[in-house]
Formats: sequence, structure tokens, C-alpha cells
Amino acid sequence: MGSLFSEVFLGALLFGAVAAAVPLLLAGLGEQISEKSGILNIGIEGMMIAGAYFGFLVAYSSGSLWLGFLGGALAGGIVASVMAILCVRLGLNQIVIGIGLTLGLEGLTALLHHVQFSRTYPRLPAADVLAIPLLSDIPVLGPALFRHHLIVYLAVALVFVMIYVYRRTQLGLNLQAAGDKPAALDVAGVDVVRTRTVAVLSTGALAGIGGAYLANIGAGIFVPFITNGAGFLGIVLAMLARGRPVWVLLGALLFGISLSLTTALQVAGINIPTDVIQMIPFLAVMIMLVAFGRRSSLPAALGIPYERGAR
Amino acid sequence: MKNFILKGASALIISGLMLGSATAADVNTIAILTPEEGTDYGWNQQGVDAAKAAGEAAGVEVIVAQGLGYGDVRPTLRELAEDGANLMIAHASGYNTAAPEIAKELNVPVAIVDTPSALTPGLIADYTLSGHAGAYLAGRMAAKMSRSNTLGIVVSGEPPSWNSQSAGFAQGVKAENPDAKVIYAVIGPAAYSDAAGGKRVTESVIAAGADIIFGQGNGSSFGMLQAVETSKAGDGGKVLFIDVIGDKTAIDKGNLLSSVVWNIEPVYSAMIADLKSDTFGTKSYAIGLADDSVKLLKTPQIPDDVWTDVMAMRDDIISGKITVEPVFEATAVRAMMSDVQE
Repeated sequence: MGSLFSEVFLGALLFGAVAAAVPLLLAGLGEQISEKSGILNIGIEGMMIAGAYFGFLVAYSSGSLWLGFLGGALAGGIVASVMAILCVRLGLNQIVIGIGLTLGLEGLTALLHHVQFSRTYPRLPAADVLAIPLLSDIPVLGPALFRHHLIVYLAVALVFVMIYVYRRTQLGLNLQAAGDKPAALDVAGVDVVRTRTVAVLSTGALAGIGGAYLANIGAGIFVPFITNGAGFLGIVLAMLARGRPVWVLLGALLFGISLSLTTALQVAGINIPTDVIQMIPFLAVMIMLVAFGRRSSLPAALGIPYERGAR
Repeated sequence: MKNFILKGASALIISGLMLGSATAADVNTIAILTPEEGTDYGWNQQGVDAAKAAGEAAGVEVIVAQGLGYGDVRPTLRELAEDGANLMIAHASGYNTAAPEIAKELNVPVAIVDTPSALTPGLIADYTLSGHAGAYLAGRMAAKMSRSNTLGIVVSGEPPSWNSQSAGFAQGVKAENPDAKVIYAVIGPAAYSDAAGGKRVTESVIAAGADIIFGQGNGSSFGMLQAVETSKAGDGGKVLFIDVIGDKTAIDKGNLLSSVVWNIEPVYSAMIADLKSDTFGTKSYAIGLADDSVKLLKTPQIPDDVWTDVMAMRDDIISGKITVEPVFEATAVRAMMSDVQE
């Protein structure tokens, strides 16, 4: 039991919590953009796994994690462009297309992995970390929170960028209007389809980066089905957050901490069914949903294709 | 009356012909379904390789349906049955609901894992295998070699086969060094492909003091391997990894200590033979040390004296001098870990 309270162990748990939270944060922020504009982006899991595969492929081939993130963003964006064409431009059912994209991309990336990596299973070296001066020296919390790859800090900074965009920019207002009253936005002379397309592409890029993080830093390797439902958790976080980026951050951290708590309880040798322990992260999110989500209001036009003049 | 007798006789003949489709003489094709690619140096690869070997030995065509994921495989099972498979091996615990359903629906025999209670003569066989004796040897070896006297077990789920190996490993550690500590952590309820989770949990277990990890996972085991390769033990030294079922030597970077390697070919060969002799679905199958269908992988990381000792223990298990009882229940396995820690 003593090892449970060692500085190294607690630090590793917290570090793991942050590492688990980052992909969810990026996916959740991305989903939030789509939902604000009225698009329920169920295909985000597919965008993540595309980002994971191509992000890993580029990082492994080039030796650069940053190029890997770029590759992940592009892959996610390309998948998102399919969703944009089918759902935003052609007005097809967003749930059906989203599920189709996810299943298709899971299969495609598994196939590509089989062709390319299934005999060698290449792994990336440990990612370089950026230690924040002074803060990283704080016992336990310092190494856990302030010794990460730069992409982690940028992901957190993105939360505040999104707050600014939603509250202070015309783009934020347009996104909100595209989700709540697209006809009004259209009347105001703003192209609804273009606004929603930008939103979906942004979602794809962020989900792709999240996937690339998962493969390149979270695991250091790509294996088929590696996202393991992270994209769907991003959807849950976005819905819980009611349009507020900070809530996505808190939800992702809560989930990550809960995951680490499950490890801590097991390492401590608590002899209760593992299934019960493993429920904790999901239970935490459900409690959060019940406590705070009841008052949530989703965009009025969420999931409804926009067609000019239609009633 | 004459018409009635004729119709009855015809019905009997037709029924007999239909039932005959599932009997011995027709074992021309078998199929195996795996959730991940059969190139994972583990569960999936051993299954696919074994099916191919058993098929070749029996002169039977083998259809491989791999990388099917962990979802609904009913459509794939129906397709394989339509393609003429006389036996479908559903090589994942997640398939043990769908496969028996399809077997009953189409009257095509299936083999499943982790469900011994489902045995149905002529239709459903179970091959819940256990490498617990090999895992016991791995535990003895790990306890001999650990510098911190702390060993970690990381698993991506708790199917019976893995539970028995976790228990075997813990029993081996305890037998070799009663003071050693065994830390046990499950990545998730079915986190077989969660490589990032495997890395995260393994890093935590290493931080808790383990310097040798006994890892059981499919895709997630690559995350465990990555954690072992990129982390330092508490004393700053190397962390070692013991794998299960497959042989990852080809992709090892110097941290692979051993593996409890399975050879499933004798099991599949026995199934084909049972189909031919109409005894399919009437018995269970086993692998073990005696015929090397379970064996420890030797790597350069294992000192010669340790290997010699472990091989002597292997002989003792085969001769019955040492007995290792399999423990399949997750609750009992966890209790065992707690006992070891106390």
C-alpha cells in the first residue's frame, strides 16, 4: 500500500490522467464546433482514427512529431470533407453518414496497417517534453502537469482561444446562429452551408490531431481500433459542456483522473470486482450529466440539414 | 395411408440428408474469425497459424476472416457458412454469443472460447485454453530476476484464459519468493486494442515499483511493450516484459524477457478429427507443457542458470511433482494478488 503514496507513483498517475485527457479534449472541442453550427458529427471517431493512422505514418516516416500532427489534422480534415459534402451540402442523414464513416475508416486503417506495419510494429521514441520553469519543480504536481509535450499546452490554450472565438468574434456568432436559427443567418447574408462546412472541417482537423496524439504520444505506436471509442467520448463531453469550452476541459480531465483512479485502486490491491472499478470514469461522467446536463440546451437546428426556403 | 407412409419416409430421407451436411464426411473447409489481424505476434496470429497448420495436416481448406473487430460478427459467420465452411472457429471471447446463435440457425458447427457450458454435441465446441503452468514458470523466473521484488501484471480484460495465467504467474512468484509483491491492473473491461491505455497503466505499475511486467493484451500489449521500452525502473535500470501466447522476438528492442507461447494447432486438429468421428462438441480441449503446446520462450535476457532452474521446474510439473491448479474466476485471481501483497 505504501507504494500507492510514493511521489513517483502519484506523479505517474496524474501524468497518465493528463495524457488520457488530451485526445478527449481535442475531440470534444472539435465536436463542440460542429454542434454549435448544427451538425451532429457522429463521424468524429472515424476522423480520429484516420488522424491516428496518418499522424503516426507521417511522424514515423519523417521523424517529426509536428509533421505527424499536421498529417493527422489533414487526414481528419479530409474525412470531414466527405461528411461536409454528404451532410452539409447534400443534406443526408448525419447519424447514418457519421456511423458509416467511422466503420469505414476503422476498416481502412486496419487494412493499411496490415499492409504496412503488421510485421514490424514500429514504435516511436518517447516524446520530448517541455518543462515549465519553476512550476515543473513542484513535488508530484510539477512533473505530472508541467512536463509535457508542447502540444498538450497548446491543446489547453485552445480552450481559451475557443472561448474568445465564441464570445468575441463574428465567426463565433455565425456558428451559433447556424445551429440555432440558420434561416436568420441566411437572411443576414451569411452563407449557412459555408459556415457549417468550416465547422465540420475544423472538427475533423482537431479530431485528427487528437488521434495523432493518441498514437504518437499516448501509445507511441498505431494499432487497429486504437481510438477505442475516444471520439464517442468526445461527443459526450461536447454535449455535456453546453457549448462551453472550459467544461470540455473539465470533463476530459475528470475522465482522465477517473481512469488513473481505477489504476490506483487496483494497484492498491482493493479486492472489488474490476468491472466496478472500471465503471468509475463513466459513472463520473454520468453523474456530471445528471447534475449539470439537465439544464443543457442543444442548438435548435442540431442534426437538421439546412435548405434555403424549406419549412 | 400409403401416401402418409411415403411422405413420412421422404421427410425422413430429406432430414437425414440435411443433418448429414454437418457430419464428418463433409469436413472440406474450416474458417477462423479473429478480431484483429493475424500478424500480432499473439492471440490472433497463433490462432490463424494454428488453423492453417491443422487444415494443411488434415487436407482441409482454411478460410481466414481476420481483423473483424469486437462488434457483431453474425453477417461474417453467415457469409462463411454460405461459402461452405464446415467448421467456424470464432477466435474471440466477444464472439461467444453470436457464434452459437448462427450455429443453431444454420446448423454449421462452431468452436468458441470461454464458454464451456455451451458444449452441444455436433454443433458447439469450446476451447477455453489455459497456459497457467507456463505462466507459473514465468512467475518463478520473474521472481528470481526481479531487482525490486515487485512484479506487475497488466491485462486488457479478464477472460478465463488470461485469469488462469495471471493466477499461475502470481502462484509462481509466491512459490519462488513469498516476500515478493505482485501488482495487478486491468486496463479496461474489454480494452484489447487500447494501446494507449496499455502504455498508461503499465507506466503507472512501473512507477509503483515493478521492474518486470507480465502483460496480457492483444493490440494493447504493444502499448505495454512501449511503456517498458521507454520507462526506467525505480533503480534506474531496465524494465523487462513477459508476453503471452505469441512470440514478439522479431520486434523486440531488448526488453522482452520471455513469453508463455501457445501452440493451438493440436487443438484445432483434434476438432477436425472430432468432426470426422462425430464426437465434436462432446469434450473440452487442453494445451500443456508436456507436448510443448505451452512453453516458455528463451531470450538472451534470461541467464543460463535461471533458465536451467526453470526448465527443471517444468520437468517437475510434467512429472506431477509440482502441481499448478488453474484459477479461472477473476474474483479469485484478484484475491490472490491481494494475498501476495500482504
